[in-house]
Amino acid sequence: MSFEPAAWAKDWMLDAAQWIALVVIVTGLAQTAFYIVQLAYAATALSTRPPVPRGATLWRRYSDQAPPIAVIAPAFNEELTVVESVRSLLALHYPNFEVLLVNDGSRDGTLERVIDEFGLKNVGRFVDTSVEHKSIRGFYASPDLPRLLVIDKENGGKADALNAGINAARSSLFCAIDADSILEPDALLRVVRPFIDHPDRTIAVGGTIRIANGCTIDAGRVTAVRLPRNFLALVQIMEYLRAFLMARLALGRMQALTVISGAFGLFSRQRVVEVGGYSHATVGEDMELVIKLHRHMRDQRLPYRIDFIAEPVCWTECPEDLGVLGRQRARWQRGALECFVKHKDMCFNPRYGRIGFVGFGQIVLVDVIGPLVEVLGYFLVPLLYWLKLLALPWLLAFLAVTFTFGIFISALTLILEEVQLRRFPRSRELAVLAVIAVVENLGYRQLSNFWRLRGWWQFVRREQGWGAMTRKGFGGRPG
Amino acid sequence: MNTLLALWQLSLLLCTVALMAMAAILLARVIAERRGSRRENERKRVSALLLRPQADAPQPPRGRIERDAAAKVALEMAELVRGPDRDALIVNAEALGIPQVLLRKSVSRVPQERLLAAEALAMFPAGHVRVTEMLDDRNPDVRLGAALALAQNQAAPPAAQIVRQLGLGTRERSLLVASLMRDLVDADPASVEALLEDPDLPDAAKLAAVDALAAGGRVEHAPLVARMAETSEEDGNLLPRVYHALGRIGHPSGHGAILRGLTHPAWAVRAAAAQAAGSAGLADAAMQLGELLGDVYWWVRFRSGEALWKLGAPGREVLAAHASEGSPEAREAAARTLEERGSASV
Repeated sequence: MSFEPAAWAKDWMLDAAQWIALVVIVTGLAQTAFYIVQLAYAATALSTRPPVPRGATLWRRYSDQAPPIAVIAPAFNEELTVVESVRSLLALHYPNFEVLLVNDGSRDGTLERVIDEFGLKNVGRFVDTSVEHKSIRGFYASPDLPRLLVIDKENGGKADALNAGINAARSSLFCAIDADSILEPDALLRVVRPFIDHPDRTIAVGGTIRIANGCTIDAGRVTAVRLPRNFLALVQIMEYLRAFLMARLALGRMQALTVISGAFGLFSRQRVVEVGGYSHATVGEDMELVIKLHRHMRDQRLPYRIDFIAEPVCWTECPEDLGVLGRQRARWQRGALECFVKHKDMCFNPRYGRIGFVGFGQIVLVDVIGPLVEVLGYFLVPLLYWLKLLALPWLLAFLAVTFTFGIFISALTLILEEVQLRRFPRSRELAVLAVIAVVENLGYRQLSNFWRLRGWWQFVRREQGWGAMTRKGFGGRPG
Repeated sequence: MNTLLALWQLSLLLCTVALMAMAAILLARVIAERRGSRRENERKRVSALLLRPQADAPQPPRGRIERDAAAKVALEMAELVRGPDRDALIVNAEALGIPQVLLRKSVSRVPQERLLAAEALAMFPAGHVRVTEMLDDRNPDVRLGAALALAQNQAAPPAAQIVRQLGLGTRERSLLVASLMRDLVDADPASVEALLEDPDLPDAAKLAAVDALAAGGRVEHAPLVARMAETSEEDGNLLPRVYHALGRIGHPSGHGAILRGLTHPAWAVRAAAAQAAGSAGLADAAMQLGELLGDVYWWVRFRSGEALWKLGAPGREVLAAHASEGSPEAREAAARTLEERGSASV
């Protein structure tokens, strides 16, 4: 069944359809071109990256010169996993580091578990007040564990907890992580490299986040890398590979990185203090911090580097049900839009150089108009076909190009992973991911765009809050 | 019709490339997994041969996979053993032909391979010439890695040559330059001392050299660091490092510079000078450090409090005095430092 419009309406509809189709096609082509450029840059970055010494070599080399690092881990209602997380952090291989666990007003027994397990006592601490956060209720430490300090504060959210950690940190660098993530033992040794190689310029470094669902975890360590059985988790593995091995690596190479994941990033404490720390009024506080750093350094006309390193790995648990994943994606979308609007004057502003053009260009294409145009396309293409404004061969041809390009990008990202990093130990896992790279285009990709559209809607309605994020906890325990 | 056809052809091309690429990596992985057992067997064989005294010449690794595995295991084991065990391991590795394997790797197209080769080759006297050539490698990481490996094995060329080839303090500003200088001092302190006579040597390299000499017990060059503190331009990064070095060296010739650093306009320099005063046990700085407890910048207040605590009784008296009088910032800094240090020392 199809609809035959009146003759007077046909011309008008045809014009409108042509314009809309033009917008969709131009945006699609721009995105395609940008992805191809990113792939080329990512491949160059991986093939020309500095040689990667082994952990033992790094330890020998850096033992004298590695700058001290404060690892800041905000924790909110992490009673079940907090002890294992702290043990894992204390076992990191790095010459000089301190773990600052920030209890962000947990309503469960997070603080008591840590105090009891590690025999901590209330202590005094002279802390900075440069960045804002809710008031601190106390500090806890033990002479037996000089690397551990627990900060107990009133609840204020993740950004607030990180700010409290920054004020309490006494090292030139701090590493922001999620308390429920797992860092590889030598992750700090690897991520600190740009700060050692270019100590005068480097102000922030991001590292790769990978999904731990399905992996074997023992004593806070990923001991065997395996794929999960859950379809959503499998698809997210491909998404993370594309995000980190393609997009962030490429943008880092271009010196136009706009996001360092809140789950794992190393920062110059002084530069972060200069920009006022993490912002409270956004759910995209990690992205906003990086953009603020760019703005600050460009405004001051200071030379700087914000890098991304593919090797240091932080493992995290991803959502396995549609509801939680949908809320997470909507929140990410909202965070990106909040950052974009807050710093829109940087967009295509020559004063901000490549960050204004490349960094913000990527935000505009991928985060701002990307989901709108793609969802518009999903609605319009069948509609135009129904209105007889689009012939079936053209409809099919456009769909074919869209899907095969998605598969093409995923396949090349898998090649980058396999040639340069090879983290999946068995060929069967590669085969499964290759299948997922095809299947994700049929259903999941469209669903993901609807979630992002929901994020857009939440942004327009100025909705706040993070939404519930249910985790199973590593080892399958309920969280 | 042509555009439509082109769209289908593009789809077909993308699909074909993607499928072929996936098939290729899967095939490559299957082959690599099959080679894994060969690699593992060779690792076991070579590990045993490297550790035991050898009566007869052992069989060198045969294929490329075996050679790679043997080179890697030799390097890993060399990092685990010291003294006579390491010497024996190197003799066994030479008998296995490992240096020849590494020499081939040292001309690899891949910088990672060259770096590994440089680090391993430097252990073998027969490899020193090649590693010295690698100081001119096109990759800066390989150049620095080669220099570090040579210095660690006490086989480095004169310090001046390394400074020139690596561009220390100019092109190469890595913090590892300090480690390199320390290893150079261990092997040939005279050549590092000679560097200090070079008027064109960048301050950063000079500082690393003096710091390394002082760490090796040669503090007679400390006045040079004190002069650097006086004459350095307003380099936001170098000057705090100069003061840290003065604190580490602790030589009396640096005390005047430290005292002057406490009034420097840059807060980072004041903080570094305060830290140096504490590290050097500079009791004369107690009053000035007390004043800095009320500084605008937290780092200066914090470092001053720490330094006063380190100074012992005279410093703690100043802390106690400021805890009850002075600006709110100074009172808080003094009281918190006493509370923190007091609770830590219980």
